[in-house]
Amino acid sequence: MNWFPIFYREILLFRRRLLRLGYVVSALFSPMLYLLAFGLGLGKRVTIGGGSYLDYLLPGLLAMTSMTNSYNWIATSMTVGRLHFRTFQVYIQSPVTATDIVVGQILAGMVRGIFASVILVSLGLVLGGGFHYNLLFIVALLLNCLVFAAFGVIVGMKSRSHEDTATFTNFFIMPMGFFCGTFFPVDEMPWLARDIIKILPLTHTNHLLRFPAWNLANLGSLGLLIAYGVLCLTVAIVMVRRYSE
Amino acid sequence: MNEMIVTDNLGKQYRDLVALEGLSLQIPPGEIFGLLGPNGAGKTTTIKILTTLARPSWGTARIHDFDVLRQPLQVKKLIGVCPQEINLDRELTAYENLWIYGRLHRMTELKARIQELLDFGDLSGRADSLVRDFSGGMQRRLLILRALVSRPQVLFLDEPTVGLDPQVRRQLWNLIQELKLGGITIILTTHYIEEAEMLCDRVGILNRGRLIALDTPQALVAKLGGYVVETLNGGRRQYLLVRDKEEAYSRAQMEPTEVIIRQVNLEDVFIQLTGERLTN
Repeated sequence: MNWFPIFYREILLFRRRLLRLGYVVSALFSPMLYLLAFGLGLGKRVTIGGGSYLDYLLPGLLAMTSMTNSYNWIATSMTVGRLHFRTFQVYIQSPVTATDIVVGQILAGMVRGIFASVILVSLGLVLGGGFHYNLLFIVALLLNCLVFAAFGVIVGMKSRSHEDTATFTNFFIMPMGFFCGTFFPVDEMPWLARDIIKILPLTHTNHLLRFPAWNLANLGSLGLLIAYGVLCLTVAIVMVRRYSE
Repeated sequence: MNEMIVTDNLGKQYRDLVALEGLSLQIPPGEIFGLLGPNGAGKTTTIKILTTLARPSWGTARIHDFDVLRQPLQVKKLIGVCPQEINLDRELTAYENLWIYGRLHRMTELKARIQELLDFGDLSGRADSLVRDFSGGMQRRLLILRALVSRPQVLFLDEPTVGLDPQVRRQLWNLIQELKLGGITIILTTHYIEEAEMLCDRVGILNRGRLIALDTPQALVAKLGGYVVETLNGGRRQYLLVRDKEEAYSRAQMEPTEVIIRQVNLEDVFIQLTGERLTN
């Protein structure tokens, strides 16, 4: 395995952008906006399952933030690197395997997802919200980052333009963010939509981050996230392996 | 196996466009081989296939006896690629760009190698500067240095001096000539006549995906004759090929307009073969 240089390059670029103050703010702008508008505004009037809305919302925002940050970075960087800057071609012409390229990219995407998650958790704690931390919580968060970073690789390989990436985001990522139990329980949805939503990965991450208990249903959710991870990883590797101009 | 690169009936088709048609070449080690042709001739497609970036639609290509399609990893260990577009990481420093490339090639003792290359390319004072702050010429030099980090046996230079001013172009030519002294095989694509004539041991002329001539620049030129009498008649430039200087003078005296007498070059070879100019 020789994934480290690919991972390290992404981290160097991430670190350089991180030093620009505006970057951190823009990356966390929407979750902060949701937190302030829904968590603090709406939260005073609404309760879900007997608890405060802020406590309900925080794990959902964590799932959504880790998803968008893991996905966006990789999908954008791969699309632009492949089509515009042509830095991706350097990997293809170097003695590294498709697996090395995909693993390096995914790990870098996960780092970004985790970074955003840590900031959101800190923000939540400041606002008085809480999480149920345990091993399952951490595993679910990591798996969520992995699934969507791998999906980011697929989108990065598939996009024919920067607009294509936005289309994938609008059709897959944004609806998941809104309907997979981030802001309100999935059971509130009509039956057909509910059945579709229940097989989407973010629904299961949301559930695991809210109720991270070691029971059979949660193990099923964990299994499904692992299956999504393996599927996206495999598709991503095949796409990179078949790359030809 | 004496040849460093062998292609046999190599071809590439994109939908209904044949970008490369039946290219057969043998390139010995240590040669600077030039692929000359206008834009869209198939030069970059050839480089892409030989560097594993594009799959051939038919035919075979081997580098040091490794098949580019079936043994890509072995091929990639042998080659260094300097593409037409500057695909350095602009947000990283020169040192970081070279370091990452070296690690992709599993290089050890990279620090010393990078310092050696930066000295060679006269960039040692800018190791820690961001590439985005480099001039076009410096970025081109760094691009060539990056391709050399892994001590490749074959170096691909795709239009290495395109868009550079004449002075920087000459600096890069000196750099390429120094590389040749080290025994590296170089495949260079260009549409600059002077570049091909100055640097290449042999030249293959491509037009519309087909190899239409292959020889040393001197031999290609010699086949046409010694001199060209250029005239401008009614806004149209006309070329008359003649054997020697005396014949050129006597032809020139017969022309009513101003004439230019010059030695035959590779552009004349291209015009003779295709009826078109090589450069716009």
